[in-house]
Amino acid sequence: MTNKSYDVVVIGAGVMGTSCAYHLVKKGFKVALIEKIDIARGTSSHCDAVALIVDKMPGVDAALGYASIQRFLELKNELSYDFELHQKGSMYACETDQEMDIASKYAKSMQDDGYDIDILNPKELLEHEPFMAKDLKGGIFSKACCGLNPFKLCFAFVDQVKGKGLDVYSYTDVKGIKLNDKNAVEGVETDKGFLSTKKVVNCAGVWSPEIGKMVGVDIPVKPRKGVILVSATSFPFCNQKVQEFGYMVSKFAEFKCKRDPDVEKYNVAFTIEPSKANNVLIGSSRNFAGYGVNTEIEIIHAIAKRAIRFYPILKEMNCIRSYAGVRPFLDAHLPLITDVDKVPGYYIATGHEGDGISLSPMTGRLISELIAGEKPYLDLAPFSYNRSKKNN
Amino acid sequence: MKDNLRDDELVCRCEEVTVGDIRKAIQAGARDVTEVKLRTRAGMGLCQGRTCELLVQQIICRELGISADKAGFSTPRTPQRPVTFGTLGGDGFDK
Repeated sequence: MTNKSYDVVVIGAGVMGTSCAYHLVKKGFKVALIEKIDIARGTSSHCDAVALIVDKMPGVDAALGYASIQRFLELKNELSYDFELHQKGSMYACETDQEMDIASKYAKSMQDDGYDIDILNPKELLEHEPFMAKDLKGGIFSKACCGLNPFKLCFAFVDQVKGKGLDVYSYTDVKGIKLNDKNAVEGVETDKGFLSTKKVVNCAGVWSPEIGKMVGVDIPVKPRKGVILVSATSFPFCNQKVQEFGYMVSKFAEFKCKRDPDVEKYNVAFTIEPSKANNVLIGSSRNFAGYGVNTEIEIIHAIAKRAIRFYPILKEMNCIRSYAGVRPFLDAHLPLITDVDKVPGYYIATGHEGDGISLSPMTGRLISELIAGEKPYLDLAPFSYNRSKKNN
Repeated sequence: MKDNLRDDELVCRCEEVTVGDIRKAIQAGARDVTEVKLRTRAGMGLCQGRTCELLVQQIICRELGISADKAGFSTPRTPQRPVTFGTLGGDGFDK
């Protein structure tokens, strides 16, 4: 691969890298996608996958989430490879009156911004999900939310443009990024040779700080682990993605609610989603434990405990597997989708934590617009590298 | 494993994956057991690959001319056999 030259080199073939690569090729760029293992072998195949509006904060977070859902609906027709997109909606269930109160206020503020979110009383909640516990206090629901298969999405992005403007270099290590005397990108050094390019996109997710260091750019991403349990296949007892409202409490520090001490330690909040294969995926935890993806029995226990609390029918159902992935966490709870002033030609798309799949279509689109020098679909200031350091 | 495997022969019984499905995944770029699993669901069912994983591995080795070591195996995970969520999450759970 020596002496190859590309318009853009994308580093990392997870959902961000594959989406960026796809959207860049669509803009007419000649793109190389470099990956140390293979497509979707890191975070993007160790997660669950939904594109939600009901887990976004009002404002820019919700705007990006909503635009991504719209983009997903387009991609369903645009991409030949089936990534199992379905729009069944999504629900938050509240366990206490206090949660219901906070959830209703949240739903109203989202309604004020024009988002289609319903507030459900306990009876309506059970109409949506007849197998949920009978003592829940209600919930909120949006029919706009989608589910999909995360690693198939990555395959779909790649398959559509591979060989038609995209070259994929799997099992390839990035050794360094060459800069010129103006500190601008000149190319990427790999263990298989040198790729000449003026533009590099760092899509390395939890490993992006390493690719940042190569050009002296500090990326404050930390790996945050999430554990998920898989059920045996069954009749479809769960119709849609359901999460306990406590999930919002564990995702955002703004919401303060009393939590079960047994689940507090690993920041466990119940989520369930049906898969196309008739399994359900049950999550999840959030804890900082380095890059390891072990599924400790204490975490499995805490997740299962929450699961049977919300769906008592699960008590008799089998768990066949647990798995874990590390998500690229940033304190700001907003990703970096940005260029970098001090290194012309260096771009970053990472830090989406658990929203990477959900936000990948818009992230890829925004990066492609930024690189093409077009006006981005959304104002990128909140996602900029120059935003206040303390918010990163 | 016999020499001539037909495309319609079943490899993963839980997920009904055939030899042909696995060959297609390899043609699409899969190079090890995990990649075949992601593309075909072989090994994702009730038995978690206990029945088919070695077969999948051998097919990969044969198709690509690589060693079993390279074709690898999927990550072993808890639980080792199906167990109810009631058992995993119950109050009698022994920490």
